[in-house]
Amino acid sequence: MALFPVTGRFVGDFVPHLVAVDTEDTMDVLAEKVAVHSVGRRIPVPDPHPGYEVLLADAPVPAATTVGELGLQPLQWLDVRFRGHA
Amino acid sequence: MLLTRDDWYELSRDVDWELDHVDRATAFPANWTGADGIPEQAWDAWEEPFRVSYRDYVRLQREKESGVKAVSQALVRSGTYEKLDPGHVAASHLHMGTTCMVEYMAVTMQSRMCRFAPTPRWRSLGVFGMLDETRHTQLDLRFSHDLLKHDPRFDWAQKAFHTNEWGVLAVKNFFDDIMLSADCVEAAMATSLTVEHGFTNIQFVALAADAMAAGDINWSNLLSSIQTDEARHAQLGFPTLQVLMEHDPQRAQQALDVAFWRSTRLFQTLTGPAMDYYTPVDQRKMSFKEFMLEWIVNHHERILEDYGLAKPWYWDRFLLSLENGHHAMHLGTWFWRPTLFWKPNAGVSKAEREWLREKYPTWEDNWGVLWDEVIANVNAGRMDKTLPETLPSLCNLTQLPLGSAYSRHELAPHQLTYGGRLYSFDSEVSQWVFELDPERYAGHRTVVDRFIGGEIQPMSLEGGLLWMGLTPDVMGDDVYQYAWAREYAALVETEAGALAGVPVAGE
Repeated sequence: MALFPVTGRFVGDFVPHLVAVDTEDTMDVLAEKVAVHSVGRRIPVPDPHPGYEVLLADAPVPAATTVGELGLQPLQWLDVRFRGHA
Repeated sequence: MLLTRDDWYELSRDVDWELDHVDRATAFPANWTGADGIPEQAWDAWEEPFRVSYRDYVRLQREKESGVKAVSQALVRSGTYEKLDPGHVAASHLHMGTTCMVEYMAVTMQSRMCRFAPTPRWRSLGVFGMLDETRHTQLDLRFSHDLLKHDPRFDWAQKAFHTNEWGVLAVKNFFDDIMLSADCVEAAMATSLTVEHGFTNIQFVALAADAMAAGDINWSNLLSSIQTDEARHAQLGFPTLQVLMEHDPQRAQQALDVAFWRSTRLFQTLTGPAMDYYTPVDQRKMSFKEFMLEWIVNHHERILEDYGLAKPWYWDRFLLSLENGHHAMHLGTWFWRPTLFWKPNAGVSKAEREWLREKYPTWEDNWGVLWDEVIANVNAGRMDKTLPETLPSLCNLTQLPLGSAYSRHELAPHQLTYGGRLYSFDSEVSQWVFELDPERYAGHRTVVDRFIGGEIQPMSLEGGLLWMGLTPDVMGDDVYQYAWAREYAALVETEAGALAGVPVAGE
């Protein structure tokens, strides 16, 4: 377990954020940590909420994958979007 | 018979030393002059257009100083400052904090030209530039000192560059690079020709017009007086470009292209929000984009054409950025407002939005929808959702937030690995600048780099504010205390039923 900094962009927001995640975090947890800086602040919360998905280099990452398994460099860019968003 | 100025001017200006005890390359090292690869005699063609003697210079400057001081003294006594719109006043806080010490940095740059410029003509004229910039620093300090009793934010005219406030660090990074670290030739391209001849118009002409319309005659007068000096000493860039075009045109193109992009990004931060959001809407003379197109873009295009240079390869991206970059910087600075030393005006009331839509047809889709969520949170009393909980990711070239060059629709990763670490950029253009000379930029650490490096403690927003030197008496907040949002609350009430506890306009 170790803190790890990523560049997290919520798709639709105008700016990505410095987000501290944990190497044990799954993509579901990472998505929440990225989304909290955008959704409900500049991006409306959808009703019903479809949940989130994470993309690395435009490719969706399975929800159960952990940050440590991705082999990221510090501050590497990850996208988070509402599930089902094309 | 007394000689006329024309009889002695060139002899006086062109006096040079015959060096006996050191060779010329030691006295004038190429990494200071910037004259590497340019034959020494090429500088004989360096001809300045303004031909001013020291006596003329002193007489003119004395008259200017008397004028500025007379207006200033009369207005400070008359109490006009207290009647100014607070949104406009924020623009003067921003200007003084981010510009005063840049003027002082320019003294150092001009003094380097006095000593190391590759021709005695340029060295002589550098004296006037140095005195100009000293005057500008003193004008800003005097203006701010006079108003300090009204607002401690004017203390930041002197203080800002001794803090770690993130915006100030971005400004300082740019001017460290093009004024303090650049050789004379590069400084002439980047500072004299690009910033002073072009972009200062937007700070000292456009902002002066807005200040006058807002009733801030004192500040407007100061800005206009400074601009008369800038317009003169900026001329140093033209003969330097002429020489460079004959001997190293590729270097000229690159230096101008880099400086033009970096200047654009900086002035989107310094002047764009002030013109399009802080100045009261009925007092705005032109939009930031309109002024840029008329005063900066046209000037720059003319220079490029006159000297046989091409438009920068990124011209289309620049035009896209012109439509968006300062809106991004404005939303970002307003959202991260505790990290500012001035109080920003959101500038998105209905009347202001109408003006923004007219000036920027894509504004609603690019920016309005994001503001809508902010407005809903303000009106629902969810103020915690209108404030940040972390830092925006920052560009390793401009030190500005990623995403602040274009709109949210163009936001995309621009990252590269150099020397074993990952670097991030706000655009493909900033990445291109970095890749031209990575060794030059790789060591410039952003606030994010310092944060994850453990320099900011505690590692929280509060720790960041402490590290930036932001105290409660100057910390930024909405300048109108969110009053502009109430007209939207009335709309929500009509459309979706009453919102408990939300005041509406007129209550």
